[in-house]
Amino acid sequence: MKTTRREILFFAGGSAVGILMTPAPWRLITDTALWSENWPGIPRPARGAITARYTNCALCAAGCAVRARCVAEQPVSLAGVAGHPLSHGALCAYGLAGHHLPYHPARVTRGSEREAMAAVTAAMDRLAGNEHMAVLDLRPGRTASWTYRRAMAAVKNGVYVAAGGALANAAIDLSKARTVLSLGVPLLEDWGTPGNVMAARAGFHLIQADAVESRTAVMADQWLRIKAGSEEALGQGILQALGGQTPVAAAEATGIAEQQFLALAGELRQNGPALVLGGARSKSAAQLNDALGALGRTIVVRREAPVPDAWKKAAPAVDLASVEDGSIRVLLIDESAPGAYLPWSAVEPKLVRDNPVVVTLGWTRDGYGRHAQYLVPAGVYPEVTDDLPPAVDSVAATFRMSVPLVQAPEGVVKPEEWIARAAGLQVGDTLRERADAVHRAGRGTLFTYAGGKSVAAKDVKIDDFWKALQAGACWMDEVEPARRPAAVKVAAGATRQAADLTDDLPLVVVLTEAPSSPLLSKIYQESNLKLGPEQVAIHPLEARAAGVEDGARAVLETLAGRIDVEVRVDAGVPLGAVLVASRPAVLDVCGAGVGAKVVRA
Amino acid sequence: MISEIKPIHPARYGMTIDVDRCNGCGACMVACAVENNVPPAHEGANDRKGLTWLRVYKVDNGEEYPNHRTAFVPVMCQQCNHDTPCVHVCPQQAVDLDPATGVVGQMAERCLGCRYCMAACPYHARYFNWWDPAWPKGMEKTLNPDVTPRMRGVVEKCNFCHGRWHAAKQLAAAAEKPAGEPVEYTPACVEACPTGAIRFGDLNNAASEPARAAKEAESFRLLEKLGTETKVYYRSKREWVREMAQAPRPDQIRKEIARG
Repeated sequence: MKTTRREILFFAGGSAVGILMTPAPWRLITDTALWSENWPGIPRPARGAITARYTNCALCAAGCAVRARCVAEQPVSLAGVAGHPLSHGALCAYGLAGHHLPYHPARVTRGSEREAMAAVTAAMDRLAGNEHMAVLDLRPGRTASWTYRRAMAAVKNGVYVAAGGALANAAIDLSKARTVLSLGVPLLEDWGTPGNVMAARAGFHLIQADAVESRTAVMADQWLRIKAGSEEALGQGILQALGGQTPVAAAEATGIAEQQFLALAGELRQNGPALVLGGARSKSAAQLNDALGALGRTIVVRREAPVPDAWKKAAPAVDLASVEDGSIRVLLIDESAPGAYLPWSAVEPKLVRDNPVVVTLGWTRDGYGRHAQYLVPAGVYPEVTDDLPPAVDSVAATFRMSVPLVQAPEGVVKPEEWIARAAGLQVGDTLRERADAVHRAGRGTLFTYAGGKSVAAKDVKIDDFWKALQAGACWMDEVEPARRPAAVKVAAGATRQAADLTDDLPLVVVLTEAPSSPLLSKIYQESNLKLGPEQVAIHPLEARAAGVEDGARAVLETLAGRIDVEVRVDAGVPLGAVLVASRPAVLDVCGAGVGAKVVRA
Repeated sequence: MISEIKPIHPARYGMTIDVDRCNGCGACMVACAVENNVPPAHEGANDRKGLTWLRVYKVDNGEEYPNHRTAFVPVMCQQCNHDTPCVHVCPQQAVDLDPATGVVGQMAERCLGCRYCMAACPYHARYFNWWDPAWPKGMEKTLNPDVTPRMRGVVEKCNFCHGRWHAAKQLAAAAEKPAGEPVEYTPACVEACPTGAIRFGDLNNAASEPARAAKEAESFRLLEKLGTETKVYYRSKREWVREMAQAPRPDQIRKEIARG
């Protein structure tokens, strides 16, 4: 039998078709999928004993209680602690991903620690009579803050600069408020202790004045859509209305009808106790609270957690504005504990003209590290031990620590020890000394996280008290009878207003929070829930006028400088405003209410 | 995810989401990603190519101030119980409706990456791995050992935290509870929600919160007209939110406004 070429082709073709009818190719595909699922490029999660450990989140001043699920001592997920008297089991998006921060791509673990110390020592030696050595503390009120104050008292011309808000010496009691007027304050967006705010939320009527529909505005009982940057004008208008005057100018500035001012004043007066929340520089919020009788009712004095008597010979805390221009020769900045970022444009004028020494101690170069000569790498949550001052909405003093869940890498320093060493101050275990002082005071309760129990601090032995704090417990002081603070301190510096606008800078900046953790890409890059760190949002008509499209690169210009941004077009942003995600680089060139423009890159 | 044990009393796990309580903080999205080993965004990822098993959409009623209103709507796999579209179209049997839990499972090992299921899903709740999963150096140490990371080229989606369900089953077994009985557990998003907007439970248990909430007059499901009998119930007092639930994608109306 002779096999023809055609028969061979028929056979081959038939075989190919026949094979497709069998399970073989599908099996091959399945096996390929199974094999490739386990290829070496896919990371394999570590195995080990699963345990729960407790700490307090140090990412913001709230200091929420944290339960960490650990596998072989490595935290793999974080959650809140149910039943906690302050945080009520809540943890924000940033806090939930806090255990990723040590591995952040922007993390700095190597720096010029020795060179920085040598430069500081040399500069201290040539300090002139009118020149200062200063520490800038972004989160005052900690035990480390006391060390800085002691250190500055020990050196020649030492100054301790605290970056703080208007209510540094007082607390806000949301549970007592029946009406809350927020002048652009993000009350429901990680302000204070989020869990505490949510727990009190049902008890007050919230009026939110905002130029854009922020998350707080969405959840408020009433949203006042004011013109961007007109928060102070609104406050002054309500003050006038409370005094029986018609706020004509304020109505013009805010876009709110005169009658509405009168209605607001009536509501604040009748549905009390009332509380007005404003920014650190808000003079009108302080005046309104005074006029409405909030001081002593919803704004109360809070005493500080006890400190050892020996510490009290310390330098006073001052704000940056009160430091003379051109007087700081050595500036040490502790930004290991995130807090209020003071724009570099406010810091720089305070430095001497000729060769000042600026050292920042932080975990990333994104903050003051961009301006300082020396960046000394510091630990980051959750690899450092630090205590957390009470949040603004905590009526009682607290003492709790952020205890490490992972080990800090080689080469990072503890800012408190480094600055004390630079100042020649001998310090021991300051947290233990403070804990002992708190215990000796014999008051307050200790809330333990593992057991979820509160016990009187005086019933706990001093060593057990310290052990409990190291396991993430929280000491809470007794709540004193509400006392009226002497006066609410308003941060120095002019309030930026829409009046600063020029024809060349027609947009008013509205700041919003900026996420900053690798996994938070879920909420800004992989969805459009929030603005990303380099994004701004403008109205479609503003975008058309600027010649930019959604997703385009652009430049945000202000009087203070310019910064590269990505534009998002959003009809929810009012005309005449630009919504900007705040981060240090942004805050260096603009603050809320300043004039700006978006230019095509 | 076919159960080897015949369920005695099969569960029908479901959720109820109170849209009026959601403040759009995104904690659920982050907690979900942490729990399920979803990697951070690749530099090329955007809102269409990202991996968000749970996504919170910001929607509005399209009106001008002072009538303008906004709401946040968390959307994850709706766990269709009837005519499950993704199950029907999968050529590889990589998608399965578990009779023991009522959860639609996705088996990455079997997935070919054809994305038929993504096309079929009316809720846009399935996500394709366009890139190799990658974490910043060292961050792979924080992966959850109960969940296997997925490879590039496969589809993934919410499975009501199957790893947590499995752990709860193991605990129940250790306590010598009957193997086919439903177990109680809490998915990561429910645990993380600071306002208590998301609740979870067994819809077959009339006493569970989702079962009770599902019967409320203000309760609704997304695209109810399709008859997929989803197991995620929403609740809102606002009529425009309930109407929005019938749109193919919750933020569609907003996008049209944004385009001008």
